[in-house]
Amino acid sequence: MSVSGGKNIMVYVETVSQSPVSGALEVLSKAHKLAADRGEKVIAVLIGMDLEEAARTSILAGADQAIMVKRETYDMEVFGEVLTKLAEKYRPSLILSAGTLAGKDIMPMVACRLHTGCAVDVMDITETDGQLVFTCPVYGGTVLNQLIITGTPAIGVVRSGAFAKELISERTGEILEEKVETEDTNRLKIIDVVKEMAEAVNLEEAEVIVSGGRGMGSLENFKLVEQLAEACHGVVGATRPAIEAEWVPRSHQVGQSGKIVAPKLYIACGISGATQHVSGMIGSGYIVAINKDEDAPVFDIADVGIVGDAVKVIPLLIEEIKRISSR
Amino acid sequence: MELLVCIKQVPDDSVEISLDPVSKTPALQGVTPVVNAFDTYALEMAARLKEAHGGEITVVSIGGEDVKNSLKNCLAVGADNAYLVKEEAAFSHDPAGIAKTLKKAIGEIEKDRGKPFDLIFCGKESTDYASSQVGLFLGEESSLPVAANVISVEPVEGGIKLKQETEEGYRVMEAALPCVVTIQKPNYDPRYPTIKSKMAARKKEITELSPIENLESQFKVLQILEPPKRAAGVKIKGDNIQEAVTEAMSVMTKARIF
Repeated sequence: MSVSGGKNIMVYVETVSQSPVSGALEVLSKAHKLAADRGEKVIAVLIGMDLEEAARTSILAGADQAIMVKRETYDMEVFGEVLTKLAEKYRPSLILSAGTLAGKDIMPMVACRLHTGCAVDVMDITETDGQLVFTCPVYGGTVLNQLIITGTPAIGVVRSGAFAKELISERTGEILEEKVETEDTNRLKIIDVVKEMAEAVNLEEAEVIVSGGRGMGSLENFKLVEQLAEACHGVVGATRPAIEAEWVPRSHQVGQSGKIVAPKLYIACGISGATQHVSGMIGSGYIVAINKDEDAPVFDIADVGIVGDAVKVIPLLIEEIKRISSR
Repeated sequence: MELLVCIKQVPDDSVEISLDPVSKTPALQGVTPVVNAFDTYALEMAARLKEAHGGEITVVSIGGEDVKNSLKNCLAVGADNAYLVKEEAAFSHDPAGIAKTLKKAIGEIEKDRGKPFDLIFCGKESTDYASSQVGLFLGEESSLPVAANVISVEPVEGGIKLKQETEEGYRVMEAALPCVVTIQKPNYDPRYPTIKSKMAARKKEITELSPIENLESQFKVLQILEPPKRAAGVKIKGDNIQEAVTEAMSVMTKARIF
């Protein structure tokens, strides 16, 4: 069924352990601004159990209304159907979600069922002549497309860090529960969920990220990246070659096929600056690059570049940082 | 098992694509066309499945005459048959249009070969447009189970068992066949062709299929831009690393980073 003549912005708020993921709160804050300009409201949708606290957080982040739908476990198809049915009932003009793996799974399905289009990896949303314009990277981020979605509702999956999260404690809104009937087709049956990572790697929310690339040379040298991250109270990131060399698990990957990050400080160690990596960290506030190749493209985007072997530079840098922070 | 791998030809993703200053479109001239990296992982996974459990691999793509070269490359690394939906303007379609075209092609290929596919592979995304939606739309349009970001598949009684990557690890899932999967990079690399396999591939026929006329797109591109350039800051080099680090730290403390 298609939904036409919509109004208001619906945001799917993904939760992990009953808390909204950071990306969803960023999207809510952006939606709040867009809706205010259009005289519309923001409807957050949360699916799971015991989500009252998460619903309240969604209101603080910018939702006017938070709808909770009870489901015991995650199922892409069921979650997609819940959102589709709520979209048919509430008729939004725009549906947004954070660019998590789940968001990228569910939203295309909703788009397909509503016969509309879904823009992914959205970096910006603006309004021109009443039309919503989405900015999306192509060719690894060296080119940007500004596009409109002709179907209704428009659907967007937003890149993490694209918008700032603003939690305002004075905000109020309505929290309600909806019962949504879904057909359990069981096309795909989840039989096990395996957590490989000892601890969650939260690159998207990190204020400081220290990343290592091929130039670190070995597993042993890569430990220097970890030590520098510790000295800066940051999180460890990595490029694809470092992941493939198994110096660090895949959950640390920054770049087009990994995480898109925007920390306040990003230190790139032994990273040449290939487009695939740079497109994932170009939104960082301040970039420091350490590389022995003077012509490495990473220096073109760095605020401070140190030409030198990262293996020799990092220990000195750690010492300096410790000295300064102990003052 | 009857395996289908959907292939997209893309500009070599190791080349940085910029905007042509005159035409304001991506400057693709001279960039070698290659098979999308994630599709090569999908083809490798299919080839390993075929080696372990038997069956045939068919590849299908959408595009102009030049895409036949990419399909031949697939025939040299494990594919047995190749089909091309002949459509020069394929790039102008949205994921829904591509999925609809694939769905039609799959029906025609199954008819041509006299047997249905068990497993349909796509890459998890293309390296050029990276919409990551074609496989999901294809599953949804065809009312088939679909799983994205799959890193392994193995046949089990009554269907397949697959591993889907998550933020923290993976999910193990089971589905009845036929099923659509989109492939994330597994922990192995695609094989290289041999001279012999290349020669054999060159001799194989590629069957042409017709596109769907007048497909409507849900997108309209208003403008193509280059991202704002980030200005380079200071680059510090010197024979003495200690001095370089000290200098860098003083720049950073002035910028209130530390």
